[in-house]
Amino acid sequence: METFLLLMNGIGTALVPLNLGLLIFGCLIGLFVGAMPGLGSVNGVAILIPITFIVPPTAAIIFLAAVYYGAMYGGAISSIMLGIPGASTAVATVFDGRPLAQKGDAITGLTAAAVGSFVGGTVSVILFTLFAPPLAKVALAFNAPETFALMVMAFATFVGLGGDDIPKTCFSILIGLVLSTIGLDLISGQPRLIFFGIPGFLHGVNFLVLAIGIYGIGEMLWTLESTKGAVQISSIKFTFKDIIQGFRNLKDTVMAMTIGSFLGFFVGILPAAGATPAALMSYGITKQLSKNSKDFGTGVPAGVVAPECANNSASTGSMLPMLTLGIPGSPTTAILLGGMILWGLTPGPLLFTQQPEFVWGLIGSLYIANFFTLILNVALIPAFIMVLRIPFAILAPVIFVLCVTGGYAPTQSIHDVWLMLLFGVVGYVLRKLDYPVAPAVLSIVLGPLAEKAMRQSLIISDGSFNIFFDFSIKPIAATIMYIALVFLFLPLISVMKNKLFPKKT
Amino acid sequence: MKLTTRNAEIIVAIILALCSIALMVKSAQNRIDWTVEDNMGAGFMPFWLSVGMLICTIITIFKWFTKRSPQSTDEKPFIDPEANKYVYVTVLSLVGLILGTAYVGIYISLIFFLFFYLKYFSEKSNLFITIFSLATPVITFCFFEWLLKITLPQGISEPLFYPIYDLMY
Repeated sequence: METFLLLMNGIGTALVPLNLGLLIFGCLIGLFVGAMPGLGSVNGVAILIPITFIVPPTAAIIFLAAVYYGAMYGGAISSIMLGIPGASTAVATVFDGRPLAQKGDAITGLTAAAVGSFVGGTVSVILFTLFAPPLAKVALAFNAPETFALMVMAFATFVGLGGDDIPKTCFSILIGLVLSTIGLDLISGQPRLIFFGIPGFLHGVNFLVLAIGIYGIGEMLWTLESTKGAVQISSIKFTFKDIIQGFRNLKDTVMAMTIGSFLGFFVGILPAAGATPAALMSYGITKQLSKNSKDFGTGVPAGVVAPECANNSASTGSMLPMLTLGIPGSPTTAILLGGMILWGLTPGPLLFTQQPEFVWGLIGSLYIANFFTLILNVALIPAFIMVLRIPFAILAPVIFVLCVTGGYAPTQSIHDVWLMLLFGVVGYVLRKLDYPVAPAVLSIVLGPLAEKAMRQSLIISDGSFNIFFDFSIKPIAATIMYIALVFLFLPLISVMKNKLFPKKT
Repeated sequence: MKLTTRNAEIIVAIILALCSIALMVKSAQNRIDWTVEDNMGAGFMPFWLSVGMLICTIITIFKWFTKRSPQSTDEKPFIDPEANKYVYVTVLSLVGLILGTAYVGIYISLIFFLFFYLKYFSEKSNLFITIFSLATPVITFCFFEWLLKITLPQGISEPLFYPIYDLMY
């Protein structure tokens, strides 16, 4: 009851005219920044922090949290409409969002993204409200072995993301992992795989560079070849009835929403994990558990809902360790944490008792921000659809400009823009030869996390792999590891079963 | 040799196998062993992952010889001959854009890139193409430099922007 009263006070704080105005403004800015390739919530929040010094801390955090939230929604827009991930968190949204738009059903894709984000955001805020302190302790129990087990589970779900050609799928996973090892070794600090002594490789291969290259440039080359530059991306008609139909098309996505919301929140609260792995894992697990897993990648609403639920849920989850422990769960929350210190607040367990208006104002604003971002998203669908009405000959160079600026912006290195073009051309060629490219993108995200966690664990255990499998040493890690093994072998068992006992037609 | 999908499959598989070997050699410049005392060498992970890549490509090559994959039996042209120019011109113009970005700056390069691309592929009027080619870099500049405070590469054209920066800051 006390929590409920505090929450009501928080919602009241969020509805104060200044706070509400900032919240709506923040959601709009976030949508725009999130939709721009190469820019994400980190850029939006970092750029806008100085503006917040002219308002009270509660209004400031409400504004920045709204930017964060809006960016999570916005990342899906360019993923669906253009096939370029607006942010790293929206890469998995491309897998099914883009095919939906190409089929002329962008409305379902955009509606799925908006509703998925809303559900994920709402579920996570409720979890946040009810279980913040105990969940923070769970997050603290996650050390290197548990993180590695979680990464193995993510990799196990990749098996379902590949095509029919297993060697090509494995190649895709492995090349992603090799690319993730380029740069300075995490443990010894030695440079590795620095090709031709080019210093640009020292900072590694940015995940967004690969994603924009493959899904931006590679995708455009593919479209140019198949359409011969003559037609639009897809034929689009748009009426209010279509939006209603878009909502109706989501009736089979309950499982995706559940997985995305809960998994996203859990991965989000883990320090150093964040919304990108959450979205990718959520997509993989939803695909594996779905009855229509073969349809994933061809444009199914559940393939959009799952990652969008997860990335929004994770963004709320990542605020939990920030507020309760002073540990940021993602790069954006690290900047928010810096902002809190600048505003004169001390993040940690005492924040809830010493600054209840601030904490509960933030939590209350998350409920309101979710609602307003859903409204904004659905209301702006006609504007987003207009993009597809632009003739392809004009749209294509604009997308290339977005790719080049998006490839440059994260690291501000022209080396990365060259790499992006290389990945785009190679991705186009490999895709034509039926090499699945999604596993490579996923591997480069999780590769560094997995390698670091594995090597730290093996240093702790003096090289013994028991640290991952023995319940008496690390029960959480062992449990996750065995679940991962089940996920890994499920598709293989299914393939064996089909070969041994073929279905009669 | 005509570049059919079948030919492309084997050429790409051989190139990928060679790349895998090159990665193994490059990884071996670091320590690739793993002992309890010294832990994993920096090259251990990339080396063994590259070995895995090589094995995968060898299987793909084997499948090509035994014609077990759909691509190994496909005699259609790898790139649709009618669409050749779209792919090649796009890639070459992107190379030009990035080269130009590195040397004369992104804003000047964008003008030329957009003008060339629209003139080549679209049927719009010269007036539209000129306005579009000039407006896009201006919008890009306002968004990145003024709003986000992110400086995009300006190459040798950088001094041209000093007066604008004086006005902005």
